[in-house]
Amino acid sequence: MTAAELSNAPRGDADRDGDTGVLLEHLFRHQVGRVVAHLARVLGPARLDLAEESMQEAMLRALQTWPYQGIPENPGAWLLRVAHNSAIDSLRRSRFLDQNSGAVLAELTRATSIAPGAPSFEEQLRDDELRMIFMCCHPEIARDARVALSLKTVGGFSVREIASAFLADDAAIAQRLVRAKRQLRERRVTLDLPGAAELDQRLDSALETIYFIFNEGYAAHEGEDLIRRDLCFEALRLGRLLAASSIATPRVHALVAVIALQAARLPARIDEAGDSILLEDQDRARWDQHLIAEGFHHFDLSIAGEQVSEYHVQAAIAATYTQAANLRTIDWPAILDLYDQLLAISGASPVVALNRAVAVAKVHGPAEGLAEIETLRGDPQLRDYYLLLAVRGHLLQELGRPEEAAVCWSAALECRCSEPERRFLRRKLAGI
Amino acid sequence: MPQYMLALYDDPSGWKKLSPEEMQKSLEKYMAWGKRPYVVTGKRLAADLGRVLRSTNGKPRATDGPYSETKEVMGGIYLIEAKDYDEAVERTLDHPHLEHGTIELRQLYS
Repeated sequence: MTAAELSNAPRGDADRDGDTGVLLEHLFRHQVGRVVAHLARVLGPARLDLAEESMQEAMLRALQTWPYQGIPENPGAWLLRVAHNSAIDSLRRSRFLDQNSGAVLAELTRATSIAPGAPSFEEQLRDDELRMIFMCCHPEIARDARVALSLKTVGGFSVREIASAFLADDAAIAQRLVRAKRQLRERRVTLDLPGAAELDQRLDSALETIYFIFNEGYAAHEGEDLIRRDLCFEALRLGRLLAASSIATPRVHALVAVIALQAARLPARIDEAGDSILLEDQDRARWDQHLIAEGFHHFDLSIAGEQVSEYHVQAAIAATYTQAANLRTIDWPAILDLYDQLLAISGASPVVALNRAVAVAKVHGPAEGLAEIETLRGDPQLRDYYLLLAVRGHLLQELGRPEEAAVCWSAALECRCSEPERRFLRRKLAGI
Repeated sequence: MPQYMLALYDDPSGWKKLSPEEMQKSLEKYMAWGKRPYVVTGKRLAADLGRVLRSTNGKPRATDGPYSETKEVMGGIYLIEAKDYDEAVERTLDHPHLEHGTIELRQLYS
């Protein structure tokens, strides 16, 4: 997948290859976000369900007619129009149930007359999507509910897809969504863009949600690889939407920089056999150069601010890895310095401390690194974390203590980890 | 070359369980199949069940669509070319519709 293919939601004629009638990758999924956001603004957030049902109806209609009639000139606009009409029909049927239906109906009908594809309308759609991101990421909603709601409503993921990405039951995710929607109603969360007074807090909440989605996809403990990769690129898409808006701050650019620079390495993380490859052993030719360029572009924009956020430091770390021509030229003292900064900003995050220990080993030798690891072993968050055991095993091996290393790797195999990671550990064990 | 009619039956509510991504994937498979050289034409049927006309005591009457025990309804038809039933079956066996419903295959006399 290239950066061009991952670019923001399709618009105009760009969402279709005229000659072959092939749809842009993820067109339906991305169009869900735009259409639902647009309809929810017109219908009001209380009718979010109706907005979602209308889009569902439009996609079903496409499924029934496009195979026979061909793909319409502008598939995205087609879906929007049909969803729009479906919402109007539903409202008409229930018109007397609710007194403000009439006003909404008038607004819906007015909105239909705006030409899709016109620049002002495209701008409106982007603005609607932005409002929806802020609503789904509202700090009043619990984080797990925020994540599920964003993926469903803005990202166009199904309950089952979200469940498979988070190794949860369909029912648990469905529950989370119900809860999130109830919280939206009870707390009367609107689709208004945050005002200056609350912008920082609202933006923080959105950035945290997006970064969480990315990390869930990137960490790849278990589960389907494809859906996890999709999470990474959905996080990137959301980040880009914020970064392209008028409220983009240096912190937003810093987040997009981290995500783009890390996502650039995704194609090189696994070899042909599907086995994990350590960062140091990765074939840099397989890194996505478009994403690296995009990452550095946002990194440059992120420096404008006074404030140094966690995302700034993470971006600087990712940039340092990316800039090194090969393993031997990675600037480990600089990375260690950045991890020290990160630890100071993000409090005592044990995963950051573990990464720092790796940098310590690179700068001061395996014995020092191991000493750092030993201080982390009691941490409840890391106790059953395969990576801590894998790193500890690696350092013990470097120190000429292969029996102890083998014990570590065997224990790591007992932890939650992905199949490629499992094979990696078995290779290490076999190599002793 | 003889022509065969494919009548596609499915339970429309089954589609609602698909995610947007799955819908798009499925749609693309249908479209790719429809572009094969031996496909003559395809038509979608309206979602309602139509009317049934029959004479009762010599009086022709129309009633609402056929009552069916199953939830499957005919949703669309294709015409394809094939030299015999074996080839027609072979050309239909990988139709993406079979992931969702059934296909009835009938030869047309020309």
